[in-house]
Amino acid sequence: MNDSFVRTICPYCGTGCGLILRVRDGAAVECLPDRDHPVSRGHLCIKGWYAHEFIHHPERLTTPLVREGERFRPVSWKEAIALAAERLRGTAEKYGGNAVGGLSSAKCTNEENYLFQKLIRAAFGTNNVDHCARLCHAPTTVAMARSLGSGAMTNSIEHLARAGCIVMIGSNAAESHPIIMGEIYRAVDGGATLIVVDPRKTAAAENARIHLAIRPGTDIPLVCGMMRHIIDSGLHNGSFIGERMEGFEDLRAFLSDWTVERAARESGISEAALREAAETFARAREGAVVYCMGITQHACGTANVFALCDLAMLCGHVGREGSGIYPLRGQNNVQGACDMGALPNVYPGYQAVGDPAVRDKFRKAWGRDLSDRPGLTVTEMIGAAGEDIRALYIMAENPALSDPDVNHVLERLPALDFLVVQDIFLTETARLAHLVLPGACYAEKTGTFTNTERRFQLLRKAVDPPGDAEDDFSILCRLGGALGLDFPYRNPGEVMEEIAALAPAYGGIRHGRLEKAGIQWPCPNTEHPGTAFLHKDRFTRGKGLFVSPDHVPPRESPDGDYPFWLSTGRMFAHYHTGTMTRRSAFLNREQEEPYVEIHPEDARKLTLEDGDPIRITSRRGSIVTTARVTGRVARGSLFAPFHFTEARANRLTNPVLDPLSKIPEFKACAARVEKIRA
Amino acid sequence: MMTISHKSMEEIRIKARELLEKKDADGVLALRRGEEAVVAPHVFREPGEIGRLVTEPKWPLAKTAMRILQSSPRDFRLAVVVRGCDDRALVELAKRNQVTEENIRFIGLACTEEQAGRCLCERPYPRTIHGGKPQPGVHFLQDERVSSLLEGDPAERMARWAAILRRCIKCYGCRNACPICVCVPCKLEDDVWVEKGSIPAEMLVFHLIRAFHLSDACVACGACQEACPVSIPVMALQFAMRQALKDRYGYEPGLDGARKSPVLKNFLEEPETGKDYPAWITHGGTGHE
Repeated sequence: MNDSFVRTICPYCGTGCGLILRVRDGAAVECLPDRDHPVSRGHLCIKGWYAHEFIHHPERLTTPLVREGERFRPVSWKEAIALAAERLRGTAEKYGGNAVGGLSSAKCTNEENYLFQKLIRAAFGTNNVDHCARLCHAPTTVAMARSLGSGAMTNSIEHLARAGCIVMIGSNAAESHPIIMGEIYRAVDGGATLIVVDPRKTAAAENARIHLAIRPGTDIPLVCGMMRHIIDSGLHNGSFIGERMEGFEDLRAFLSDWTVERAARESGISEAALREAAETFARAREGAVVYCMGITQHACGTANVFALCDLAMLCGHVGREGSGIYPLRGQNNVQGACDMGALPNVYPGYQAVGDPAVRDKFRKAWGRDLSDRPGLTVTEMIGAAGEDIRALYIMAENPALSDPDVNHVLERLPALDFLVVQDIFLTETARLAHLVLPGACYAEKTGTFTNTERRFQLLRKAVDPPGDAEDDFSILCRLGGALGLDFPYRNPGEVMEEIAALAPAYGGIRHGRLEKAGIQWPCPNTEHPGTAFLHKDRFTRGKGLFVSPDHVPPRESPDGDYPFWLSTGRMFAHYHTGTMTRRSAFLNREQEEPYVEIHPEDARKLTLEDGDPIRITSRRGSIVTTARVTGRVARGSLFAPFHFTEARANRLTNPVLDPLSKIPEFKACAARVEKIRA
Repeated sequence: MMTISHKSMEEIRIKARELLEKKDADGVLALRRGEEAVVAPHVFREPGEIGRLVTEPKWPLAKTAMRILQSSPRDFRLAVVVRGCDDRALVELAKRNQVTEENIRFIGLACTEEQAGRCLCERPYPRTIHGGKPQPGVHFLQDERVSSLLEGDPAERMARWAAILRRCIKCYGCRNACPICVCVPCKLEDDVWVEKGSIPAEMLVFHLIRAFHLSDACVACGACQEACPVSIPVMALQFAMRQALKDRYGYEPGLDGARKSPVLKNFLEEPETGKDYPAWITHGGTGHE
């Protein structure tokens, strides 16, 4: 009988807040904010305050399970690992290594992600490894890598408070990244102007000086109009552009088509408001651009990010503490899962699989021949399930809820010869598996997460996993060993040493250095303190590059049959597929049922009242949910949170992909609403 | 002085060590400096550990002490390093039968003058002091932001508050961090009052229910405000009530365990009517006149 207090990291969004788990008699009983944490400084959002509630939930998986017909049979780890190894190896022998694929996890640690991609690449000689970053910030990594040379947030979260003007576009941070929203409000309290661009009247929009409620999918027209006005008014930063940029003349020529009049017309914003926003941002001494899924989840997601990079660099708002470009990463370790090479085209540290020198380095380190061909993405692997992909290993991802057009996903996954799912609960995806492996949640293991500002942070074990469940590091070591790989690691710290040896940007990261405040990469050696902001005197790529953003309107827009715009996203009390938050009593109490937001005037036309049951239908499928009548959405628009298995918003979404990043267009499709009569 | 001096910290350590050595306490709840100078709460069990006990940063521990005591055997004696606000909070919790003072050993720490100023603390020291020297308190109206929220034209003030509270992200941090907020069930979770499933939490319902529930209990520790991620000056909601109780009844929560809140007492003790309310309290009467 004693209480201990374990400092660790919140398992929800990419902010990476510090939380302290109070542990009593082997159980995590309470979450407290960590007053000594460099990012959150004693703050938590509702999800963080209740992040202990799902840990000891009775539905946790406690033993490996093997499918027998429609049921699962508990089996030993020995049997489970042998089965997984035999079926995965058998598939590779019969169809070739490229018939095997793996979905790694933005919920798991860096060390686990590293081992996962190493296992897939080394054991099967394929690069078919990806994870849900494909569904959130794939356009960021592509576009920012091209424009600036690094696909990560340029600055630190605390720097936001020093900005003089913040343009927040396609981000509902008050609900999805509440602690970062707090930093933005600190900037406002210090005199900064907050400009929110969002079709919805979000909480942030209500608190902004300027809210530009653009039409869905018109980010590029708006930003191009702003840039045109900035150049025409001579407010662009000529010396910054001259010294540090290339491609300016191309951009200027490109913008000749984007008059303010046209931009205003297409985006549905008044010319005066567009001009005011442009001038305010350009005139600010320090300017920051904050964006999220509203920018990336479009068929032109990569071009959207190019546009934002162009805007920031046009004004010289990069490379200083108070200025920068802030993609807000959605998952606790989605930055890390990308960094660790859980992507089909790069090894850890964004080293291209097609580069012979790089491949040779990893071949020597791992002792196996490696493929030079980029692998398939999440959506491609699932689309090819049962055909080119015959066996899939999914670690802590839930594509049956999270991917676009989930009806299609639910058809494809059962077509696999072998599906193994490793998770903490029997998720909608795990239910389809041949073999289920019980993993450990954040409170039950050690390792590191990397937050949205590139900060490696230590996760500390507070309690044991339930029953026979094991931490994912141990499961990967067992499976790697059974597949004939040399996985000799005694603890995750040793994996980090291997990562540091192979990826120069993380060369100085050691668990022993992370105790106090973590370290922000790049950190090339063990003497290096880490990097609070990037592109200080030169861009990672040398000169910054203006890339002209080609506007592609949403592939589907409202018509007579499907008269509404439908967009999806998060609400404040829940997280993604609800696996954890819907099993947290307090969070679930806050929102127990699915809903879809609809404007009061549209509701009146359909004789709908708040709380009425409705059916939403798109060209992919339909869901039954309830109407939430609210002025937050614009007339003619619907908003559906995607947390609810009983009304999966992703039955409706359009799986068309951005050609460069392969992200699906979650944020815009056409739908219709019907009242369900009792 | 900015922070608690080394000398004061040593005085606290001496008392904590003594309590453990004499087996006068089964554990000491305080802050511990861990690896790489990282600080977190800890229950010290051995005198030999006390060298790691630290007194900074300010970290209210009264609620944690309550939770530990409530899940411990009845004879468990917990020593707690208390600043003035922790001390008062534990007194209020005892009044509400959440803890028993006999189970608590108070190790009193006085805050520095600078800390009192930052917290707008009127009484920056506990009843009994083992470390540090008592410093003068600060009146909340000395703070410009607070006075702008409590004084002046009511319509303007209302607009100012509305704009500030519109930021609320409904994290429940103010409630969760508050050492006195312990009702089960909590009114803020009552479907009748607070709308579920959306932000911001409603200004009048959420924030004023909370403020009024604490009106005769708030010990002005500031934990609510420090927990607020969006910089809402939650403490300012409490100051007016605290001042009214002090002016009218000479009552300050947490000073005297034997004295019940005037709000709970009958009218026989009501002072003569007609007393002046402070100028910053909105006119319109209270029903007492």
